[in-house]
Amino acid sequence: MNLRNKVMLAAVLRKTAIILISILILSFITFFMSRMAPGDPLASYYGDRVERMSPVEREHAYERLGLDGPIPEQYVKWLGAAFSGDFGISFKYKQDVLSVISGRLLNTFLLGGIGFFLTFGLALLLAVFCAYRENSIFDRIICRVGTVTSCIPEFWLSLVLILLFSVMWRLLPSSGAYAIGKSNDPGSRILHLILPLTVVVLSHLWYYAYMLRNRLLEEIRQEYVLLARAKGISKRKVMWKHCVRNILPTLISIMAISVNHILEGTYIVEMVFSYPGIGTLSFESAKYHDYNMLMVLTVVTGIVVIIGNIIGQTVSERIDRRMKAKDHMKDLMEIVSHREMMDDAG
Amino acid sequence: MQDRPVIDDFEIVGENYRPTVRASEKKKLISKGFPLFSAIVLLLILFGCLFCELIMPYDPARMLLDEVNRAPGGGHFFGTDTLGRDIWSMIWYGGRKSLFIGILSTVISSFIAIVYGTISGLSGDTLDNILMRFTEILLSIPSILLIVFMQAALGQRNVLGISVIIGITGWMGIAKMVRSEVRKIRSEDYVLISKMMGGGFMHVLFKHLVPNFMSSIMFMIVMSIRSAIISESTLSFLGIGLPVEIITWGSMLSLSEKALLTGSWWIILIPGVFLVVTLLCITDLGNYLRGSYNSSEGNL
Repeated sequence: MNLRNKVMLAAVLRKTAIILISILILSFITFFMSRMAPGDPLASYYGDRVERMSPVEREHAYERLGLDGPIPEQYVKWLGAAFSGDFGISFKYKQDVLSVISGRLLNTFLLGGIGFFLTFGLALLLAVFCAYRENSIFDRIICRVGTVTSCIPEFWLSLVLILLFSVMWRLLPSSGAYAIGKSNDPGSRILHLILPLTVVVLSHLWYYAYMLRNRLLEEIRQEYVLLARAKGISKRKVMWKHCVRNILPTLISIMAISVNHILEGTYIVEMVFSYPGIGTLSFESAKYHDYNMLMVLTVVTGIVVIIGNIIGQTVSERIDRRMKAKDHMKDLMEIVSHREMMDDAG
Repeated sequence: MQDRPVIDDFEIVGENYRPTVRASEKKKLISKGFPLFSAIVLLLILFGCLFCELIMPYDPARMLLDEVNRAPGGGHFFGTDTLGRDIWSMIWYGGRKSLFIGILSTVISSFIAIVYGTISGLSGDTLDNILMRFTEILLSIPSILLIVFMQAALGQRNVLGISVIIGITGWMGIAKMVRSEVRKIRSEDYVLISKMMGGGFMHVLFKHLVPNFMSSIMFMIVMSIRSAIISESTLSFLGIGLPVEIITWGSMLSLSEKALLTGSWWIILIPGVFLVVTLLCITDLGNYLRGSYNSSEGNL
């Protein structure tokens, strides 16, 4: 195996190790936190019957749901089962956790995914528009309006939109992901997506647009811009071909680390609009001590966020080779120093 | 010494000389870009909330059962909510708790962040790596989920409990900043000397390090007041935070689902507008603290 392959392998291995360890720690923290909760998990499974249960029955129930024994032992048991694909049953829905989630995953990805790309697409356009006309009246108005929108909590924006569009003008539906019995009708889905999507996009848009605007303003103060302008290249061309291209790695790394912000917004919006997705489910499961559900949701959220990070890193490496070189250099140095050590020892 | 005004090279300095303070220097307190309007509004809201007893016509917690869901006007300036409480009184009384939660949880999170960040910044590479990885993992979970889990786990539904939960879930961003600042100044002579003279960790931290990096994290601290207020109101709205009996802007909004059915816009809009205006003023102050850049002309 030559050095190049070795470097690649080392990078892949390191990344995988970091992902696995992160998810493991994540699941560990959630597990302990949820088990220490004062509420009774049996109540969500058995409902009111819990109060009439005898101690023996209770013990039996605990054993059946995998809640007996010390917490570390429970965790190891859970982990073992999870590796073979068995995440247990949801206490509230009384079915396999994965089957409950799989029905809702698509809804969340639809809302969060479209919201994510729409937010960043619009943010870039807005940033270019503002940077192009820096300090003009348009720029100032947009900056002011943007600051105001970024101060509005998601849930309140949702409430106001529901009040206007659903209650007062009766234009759009206020809850759910589709009209009853129309789960396969794209029209109905789109109609139900408009309001939640507006909230997800609006509440994050300015935060990122402002960041990109400032980054662009720094960029247009670079000397290459002056050179390009002096050569007679048009403003528009300099902006799009040079400045925007140069901030793309920044944009992508911002996108990568903001997956969890958008996801958070999506979860809150889902709750307000009673949108059947992962967000509603996680609030419910936290409320009803649905441990198995909670665990899987945390792990799924964690995986989505981490995968987002890795995709972001890979894409920005593709765009900006310097980053990759720096990363590889580090691995290379490690291997070289390792070899030197081996040589010394041998 | 440095407070003395700049003396003109050709100014004659005689026996009875008194330096004259120039008008331009007098105005330093309110320097360029200071969001005066936001500061005044914020102060008004703060004072209104602090001295709410003086401006409240009704007991905010009293439920007037024969005056439920009244629109603004008449006897009630902002109307009454679905439980028959006077909204004008609740705004000020609840605002006090909302702001208190924002400030207390920020104090908690900043303290954790400063201590954690400094430990990470001062320690060797291995420990530093581990500590920073840990914050990254915590940062990768959406913070509202973290708060919801904590809330489910601890089950504290009071002002203090909520503040603690928001505080201990919101320190990661500041901690990272503190760490990078500490790494910049940790090898300065005064830190070394203080350590050599037997200064303990806490002494070095609060006597030497904090004053040096405080100005660069001030912006984040102000912004964390903002996000704490948002978290509290979101939680209370979702019914996981404070119950309806403990009046805050968030818990006032938790009645909005009922209000939507009856179309009582004032129950939703009024507390929300107060919330948003307060957040906006805090943001303006925060942006001012962050400082402005790009003073030069663009090349485009």
